[in-house]
Formats: sequence, C-alpha cells, structure tokens
Amino acid sequence: MELAKNLQTTLNRSYGKTDLYVDLAQSISGVILIGFLWMHMLFVATIVVSPQLFDALSEGLDKYYLAQVGIPATIIVIIIHIFLAGRRAPLRLRDLRIAWRLTNLMNHYDTWIWAGQVITALCVGIMASIHLWVILGAWPLRAATSAARVASTGPADPTWGGFHFPFFLVFYVIFLLVGEYHGGFGLYRILVKWGWFERHKMGWVLKGITVIIVVLGFTALYTFTQIAKTGGAIH
Amino acid sequence: MGRQLTISCFRYNPNIPGDKPRMQDYKLEEYEGMTLFVALNEIREKLDPTLMFDFVCRAAICGSCAMLINGRPRLACKTMTRTLPSRFTVMPLPVFKLIGDLSVDTGTWFRNLQIRTESWIHTNKKFDFNALEVRMENKTAEAIYEPERCIECGCCVAACVTANIREDFLGATGINRVARFILDPRDERSNAEYFEVVGNEDGAFGCVGIMACADLCPMEIPLQENLAFVRRKMAAAGLKLQFPGVKIS
Repeated sequence: MELAKNLQTTLNRSYGKTDLYVDLAQSISGVILIGFLWMHMLFVATIVVSPQLFDALSEGLDKYYLAQVGIPATIIVIIIHIFLAGRRAPLRLRDLRIAWRLTNLMNHYDTWIWAGQVITALCVGIMASIHLWVILGAWPLRAATSAARVASTGPADPTWGGFHFPFFLVFYVIFLLVGEYHGGFGLYRILVKWGWFERHKMGWVLKGITVIIVVLGFTALYTFTQIAKTGGAIH
Repeated sequence: MGRQLTISCFRYNPNIPGDKPRMQDYKLEEYEGMTLFVALNEIREKLDPTLMFDFVCRAAICGSCAMLINGRPRLACKTMTRTLPSRFTVMPLPVFKLIGDLSVDTGTWFRNLQIRTESWIHTNKKFDFNALEVRMENKTAEAIYEPERCIECGCCVAACVTANIREDFLGATGINRVARFILDPRDERSNAEYFEVVGNEDGAFGCVGIMACADLCPMEIPLQENLAFVRRKMAAAGLKLQFPGVKIS
C-alpha cells in the first residue's frame, strides 16, 4: 500500500507481477550468461590440449549449427541483460554521486565489489561488442587464425611511427579479467539474493572457480602466442 | 593517561539560515571503557553544548544513536572508542531527514514503513479477554523472534546503496519486517496480500544483494536469509497469483 497514490502509481499497481517477472528474468539472463562464459572459456582452453581438438570442436559447433544459433541467441540475452541489470545501476548523475560517496564513506567490501561490477559491466558491454565484431568477421574460427590474431601486433605502419604493440593480446587479457570479475560476482549476487547458500562460503567457491577460469584463459592466450611463433603450422 | 582522541564531527543546522555543512574537530582524552556515546556526551558537556545528537537508552536497545562512524553506520553506544583510530569522523545517517549535526529523524521514515507494510497482526478472530492465550510452538516463536529483534536504528537503510538512491525502497528493515509477519501464524494475510506489500521493486525485488545491511546490522540479524526468504516466498506466491489488471490506454 502506498501512502499517496497518484495516477502513475495507481496504474503501475495494475501491472501486478511485472516487477517479479523482470527480477526473475534478470537473474535468469545472468545465470545463462555466466554459464555461457564458463563454457566458452573451457572451449577456448581446448587449445591448451591440442590445436586439433580446438579445430574439431570449432568445426563441430559450425557443423551442427550450434554456433549459428548460439551466437545470435547469446547476443539477444546480452542485450536483455543490459536492460534488466542496467536499471539497477545508479544512472542519474545525482544517484551516481550518492552511490560513489556512500561507497567511499563506508569502505565496505561488498559495496566496493558491487561498484566494480557496475564499472566492469560497462567494460564488458563495450569489449564484448568489439570481440563479437572481430570474431564474426574472422569466421570460421580455427586455431591457426586465432593464434595469428592473438599474436598480431600493430599498427607497424611507418606513418604511425612503425611501432609494434600487441593490441589483441592486451585486449583479451583485460576482457578476460573484467568478464570473469563481472560474471563471477554477478553469479555470487544472484545466489545471495535468492539465498540458497551461506554467502561467505559460496563466495570463496565462486572465487576459486573464477581463478581457475582466468588461469585457463591466460594459459590459452599463451598457447596461442606459441602456436603463432611456429607459423601456425599445426595440421 | 589515555589516548588523545580527535573526533571530527559533521556540523550543520538546517534551521539556522546561512549555516554551512562543515566538519569540526573536538579533542578529548580517552579513558578505559569509553564508548562513542560517552565521548559525544563529554563533548556536549565540556566543549560544545550546541552539538546535536540522539540517544535514549545507551544500551543498544532504542536504536537512536545510529550514525556514520568513520563512514560506517553503527550505534554510538555500542562502539568502543578503543576500536577506532585516534582520529575519526562522525556524520549523521544518510537517507533520513537531517535534524541537525548528527541527529536525524528516523521516526517519520519508520512510521511510513509501519503503514506501508501494515505491521500489525491481521486477524478476524475476536479477542476474548477471559480465554487463555493461544499457545505457540517454541520453534515458531524463535523463528519470529529473529526478525523481531530489529531495533529500527536505520543502519541497514543508511548502508544500502539502493535505499540511498531510491526513495521508496523499503530497505532491509522493511523486508525483514514483512518476514516477521509471514512467519507469524496469527497473521491471516494471504500470499496475495503480502505480494501487494513487498512483491515489487520497492520491496523484495528492489534489493540488489550488496548485503551491507547484513554486514553492518548492529543486532546481527541474519538479513541475507530473511530477505531471501521473502524474495523466494513472494516469487513463489507471485507465479501462482492471478492479477486481473486494469488496462487504461
């Protein structure tokens, strides 16, 4: 019951369950995306086992139309998640200042983690778009082409001073860290809200999983650079 | 000889025209067993009688002396100065209306909460003066007692980013309050009625899950469990409920 009902709050009432559905959808979209992220990283990490396995998996995903269906579906879930989770973030300048001031004042661990989640959300949103653009342009994905991309340096053009910088490697390292941070703590927050587990223990389990995935990611990136050194002669 | 404490106090009286918010330092000597409540009283007695702050019980029962101590919402009476550095800040709680200096009006906010959550036992049973009180299972009584321990200090609300930026959010204390009535078998409210109260963004579904409330509650009420309990309860109820809904276009 609201104290003062105006036209807007009165009409909002008639939507009844909207807030529930939106909240559920936010949690579900988050769980789907972290599931996707972890699966994706495990798939990428097959490069550590062998480039042949990586290629076989990649070819299999294409052959059975899993990539063709999975990628657009993931993009749709990402867009939905941006809208649903984004509405929780302090978007107005006034709210942003209030949230930032409170976070600084309290210096409370979980509040800092949450602030980090808002910031990494922005990074993930931008970097995922770039990532998608790059890989869709390089389709089909194979160990050799991926290795060449990871190891590429640029711009190496005389008009730009001819310097070499591993843009892609740096991009992937940052993307891996912000992605796993956002996803890992995102799943933590979903589980905290629904309250099935004791949150401190659950937090450590998720941190453990995240560290494993990040290490796998770094190992995969290293393996790609090593494959690139051998000239991509892998088959 | 105890430590020399420097307490940096937020000073601002909205009732004095032209008064500007500022931090003012007070120096005093710490002694054995000193709480911040004692220290503030000492400041008011010996250094500055104009310093405004709230207190009643000095024993963590009334919840009046909640304030931001070194930025964190805590009770002044439950905070030993020896747990703080020799220089620290005290500020009034955010969210609540500022009366002046460290004093805020939590009463109006909690009165509003009381009305919005309808914090009373809803029953159609007629009260019989002569009958024996209906017995309650010990387990039930203990379950109700957990959320009931809330002293309405407002620390959870002040610590909550969502409550800070969304005026209508009930906060942990509000959702916890509803948990108390859901648990109480004497309250005859249906799930649909509870859903009307907290099944929305201003209630159970507004929580982001940061859990500063749970970490900073001076009464150490298991707020994560209680908030999640209401969320699950409301989700289960909401998925079964039928809302006819009025469409106006």
